[in-house]
Amino acid sequence: MIPLEYWLVLSSLMLAIGAYGVLSRKNAIVVLMSIEIMLNAANINFVAFSTYYPIVHTGINANGQVFALFSIAIAAAEVAVGLAILLTVYRRYRTIEVDKINILRW
Amino acid sequence: MSRGGYLRGLAILALALMFIGAVLSVHWPSPPKDFDQTNETPTNQDVGNAMFGQGTNPGYGLVMLLVGVLLLVALLGGIFLAKEEKEEDEI
Repeated sequence: MIPLEYWLVLSSLMLAIGAYGVLSRKNAIVVLMSIEIMLNAANINFVAFSTYYPIVHTGINANGQVFALFSIAIAAAEVAVGLAILLTVYRRYRTIEVDKINILRW
Repeated sequence: MSRGGYLRGLAILALALMFIGAVLSVHWPSPPKDFDQTNETPTNQDVGNAMFGQGTNPGYGLVMLLVGVLLLVALLGGIFLAKEEKEEDEI
């Protein structure tokens, strides 16, 4: 069985990679993909802790898997709305670079 | 890469190292020698029982319903936003 620390380190690295993508990339679709990487890091944590539940307690607890499924569903909803917004912004401004989209700025 | 890019990279690297250091500084429980993973790993049935409930466990049926509503609203919102606007005919 792979130790729990390995999953947590993988999740930490994925979170950091996603945060770097959000902060440094200009293409809004890549920013959305980076946010997805960060959400998947959280999902890995959910499933890892749920899988390791029987080591500390007795019985099986699949709540982590259930929460990961909910998280995936909410991520799908978020991406659907995000891509639709990007499509509208592209039609209006012919770009999806986040540095150039300042229509929501005061 | 610009100076700002290096700074962002360094900040994220520091964040990742802090996370990894925090994770590795904790003594996580390890499985005993006689631990049988095949019998202790949740199956699809366990996930279904946890989601929809079994016995006294109420499950997450209501939450799943709400997530379904959220997905429907996101779908309708996405269609509304992505809909192409028709230009009015000039008479």
